[in-house]
Amino acid sequence: MAGIVISGVSRTFGTVRAVDNVSLEVGEGEFFTLLGPSGCGKTTLLRMIAGFTELDGGEIRFGSECIDRLPAHVRDIGMVFQNYAVFPNLTVAGNVAYGLRARKVATAEIERRVEEALALVQLTGYGTRWPHQLSGGQLQRVAIARALVIRPRVLLFDEPLSNLDARLRVSMRTEIRDLQKSLGITAIYVTHDQEEAMSVSDRIALMNAGRLEQVGVPVDIYRHPVSRFAAEFMGTTNLVPARMVGRAGDQFVSLRPEALRLASDAPQGWPVLSGMLAHVELLGPIMRLDVKLSDGTILKAAMLDAPDRSLQTGATISLAYDPARLTVLP
Amino acid sequence: MKLGVPHNLRLPVAIAVLALLFLGLFLLYPLLNVFSASVLDADGERLTFANYAKILGRPFYRAAIANTLAIGLAATAITTALAVPFAFALARLPVPGKAAILAMAALPLVLPSFVSAYAIVLLLGRSGIVTQWLQSWGLGFGSIYGAGGIILVYTLTLYPYVLLPTIAAFKAVDVSMEEAAQGLGSSPRRTVWTVTLPIVMPAVLAGALLVFIETLENFGVPFVLAEDMPIFAVEAFKLFIGETAPNPASAGVLGVLLILTTALVLLVQRRFLSARRFATNTRQAPPILRIDRPLQVAATIYCWAIVILALVPFFAIVVLSFMEFRGPVLHPNFSLANFGSLFDRSLRPLVNTLVFATLAAACVSLVGVPIGYVVSRWRSGIATLLDVVATLPFAVAGTVLAIGFVVSFNSGPLVLTGGPLILVLAYSVRKVPFAVRSASAIVHQIDASLEEASISLGRSPFQTLMRVVVPLMLGGILSGVVLTWVTVASELSATVVLYSGPWRTMTVVMFQALEGSGAGIATAAASTLIVVTLLPIILLYRLVRRYELSML
Repeated sequence: MAGIVISGVSRTFGTVRAVDNVSLEVGEGEFFTLLGPSGCGKTTLLRMIAGFTELDGGEIRFGSECIDRLPAHVRDIGMVFQNYAVFPNLTVAGNVAYGLRARKVATAEIERRVEEALALVQLTGYGTRWPHQLSGGQLQRVAIARALVIRPRVLLFDEPLSNLDARLRVSMRTEIRDLQKSLGITAIYVTHDQEEAMSVSDRIALMNAGRLEQVGVPVDIYRHPVSRFAAEFMGTTNLVPARMVGRAGDQFVSLRPEALRLASDAPQGWPVLSGMLAHVELLGPIMRLDVKLSDGTILKAAMLDAPDRSLQTGATISLAYDPARLTVLP
Repeated sequence: MKLGVPHNLRLPVAIAVLALLFLGLFLLYPLLNVFSASVLDADGERLTFANYAKILGRPFYRAAIANTLAIGLAATAITTALAVPFAFALARLPVPGKAAILAMAALPLVLPSFVSAYAIVLLLGRSGIVTQWLQSWGLGFGSIYGAGGIILVYTLTLYPYVLLPTIAAFKAVDVSMEEAAQGLGSSPRRTVWTVTLPIVMPAVLAGALLVFIETLENFGVPFVLAEDMPIFAVEAFKLFIGETAPNPASAGVLGVLLILTTALVLLVQRRFLSARRFATNTRQAPPILRIDRPLQVAATIYCWAIVILALVPFFAIVVLSFMEFRGPVLHPNFSLANFGSLFDRSLRPLVNTLVFATLAAACVSLVGVPIGYVVSRWRSGIATLLDVVATLPFAVAGTVLAIGFVVSFNSGPLVLTGGPLILVLAYSVRKVPFAVRSASAIVHQIDASLEEASISLGRSPFQTLMRVVVPLMLGGILSGVVLTWVTVASELSATVVLYSGPWRTMTVVMFQALEGSGAGIATAAASTLIVVTLLPIILLYRLVRRYELSML
């Protein structure tokens, strides 16, 4: 087990700078997520760590050992793939044992560790099954067991949940996080799903166009985005011209929908904005509003549903916002 | 690091280098020698186009070129016209016995076409059985020798090249496109013409071009049926075998022209087809259309008639081989005499055929599968070069490659003529494109992340290839081995140039019997060949069935 140090890493494909001079430090035992839209370079960076993509420049170290010139098969990495990559010609136990056999572990030891790994991912008794008999969620558990059983120095997850249905995604991500924490293996997790990233990560590196946009703990990035991109990618937000909220300059401010309330419900001292109610939708516990301000800006607001409230589209409406939750963007 | 090759590229680079060495020595070098023979003067010193002027100046060889192209075009047109409705019927109409039709329709691809040609001679030739029977009734028909007979045999033996990919294409048509057309007010009949056919057109053309190339390169069928009509591949063979001088310049000229023609056709195909690929993503095969009873009967008769007609010549040969021949004259008595006189002299040709086919099949897999793997997994200049070189044998007639082999390995550091190895190597080179295509099609279906998973779990790229990729490809590889084995066993065009002394094969025996008057031995050899090719296919039918479409 070791921390990971990435310094000045770059990679160009044709004319595209897929990864552009990225430097990162991931602490030992940390659950670290690379988050960003498709094409931002997060998968390329992960594949560089795994050894499947060459570096044009820079260096990657596990602890003090420089690994970026090592062949992928000696890097001692447990990798979990988006499409599971479970070997269809091996049983579940055969899959989990694969890495141990490659390491010439003794047969009895293999058996014991395979059982142990399957128990960790709640697949006890599934050893003799074939991959085609398993569901997507079970296949991904096999893949995780297979990656864990070799006791890798580092765990890499390449969008491991994106082929699963929504409910399973939510339960599996908690499981993955719990497993990683209980084993204490440094993990790098790639996803494009902001909510998933926030739920599992110790820290997130938000990537855009091959560069790091912002690195930090999830809450910090959410509450204090350093750029328009960060503000918009981490959940929904309103980008409002600064003068609309009484500030000087021609910057924009980010105002999260949940920082807005109906003026009548708001605490004393919250600034008020008025506009026309353009759209209302009730999504069970949450109600969403679109309010059109005088200059045409649409302001999205979200609040908990209140049964006695009735709102008519087209009516004039006053919203108040929490001034402490206003972020000025460069 | 020693070579400066990144570690994850070492395996593909190593494979590519080895493959290019093999193909360089046994494909490019012989072809280069054919080419240089054609452009050098008699002393082999000065560059000259005199050989070309000499050949092209003779009306006889100009006619050979014209005949070959005309016959090829006619056979391609007729084959396509027959096969497309056939494919539509099998894919979309309620025709009974589809599985049986499909099984039988694939057979002409593996059965030797010159056997079919010979059967046509025995049945419809001058003293053919059917001819004589009709004459006894006072009926006659035109000669089957020359263009007519050749086109007939090509049509009967090559139609699966169009049929099989077109069936697959018809089945891959997204029904919602047809439904969209009909929703916009198009009648079902008009929809077929305006929507369905245009979508399958690339597959049809790809198949048709395969047919055309096969006709250009085919040696056996015109050898049996052309008589006095000059045909490209046959004349190249005659020029080469007839020449005693060590410089086979004239044969080289014909060889080069033949390669240029086929290469041109292939290039046109690549250009045209890559520009028009209609991707349709289907979830399920389109439904069987409901049609009137009379139309259904007509479609059924049509399909069965083509399949059966194509196999009748082979069936007839097997029956005839059990009858008594006195000289060329047939007597309708059951007899094993033909097989007696075939095998009395020696079992050697049969053993040679089986051994060569086995060695060649092994060699082809050893060369073709790694190439297929590299070509489909690795995007780079070397991979593209490898792909092109490995496809090249497809454009080279067996006769021409064989001539190149003789010229190249008759003297110098590597002498192979007179031995068995030269045959095995020539077969292997000829069949490499098929192995590469089928292997790369299979590799394409294997998720690359399986390999990455294996590597990250600690297996080197080579171990991963052997432990993950090869096991997953096994069915496809075996199927390829069977098909290579079968087609090598009945290979004629390179064999007749390269065989020597004790290394005669069954095809050579039959070829020699054709030249003499040993009709009995010829039929026995032909039906032995049919058994040799059909047996593995029948035994491994399920396996081959699953993969053979990827060969096309």
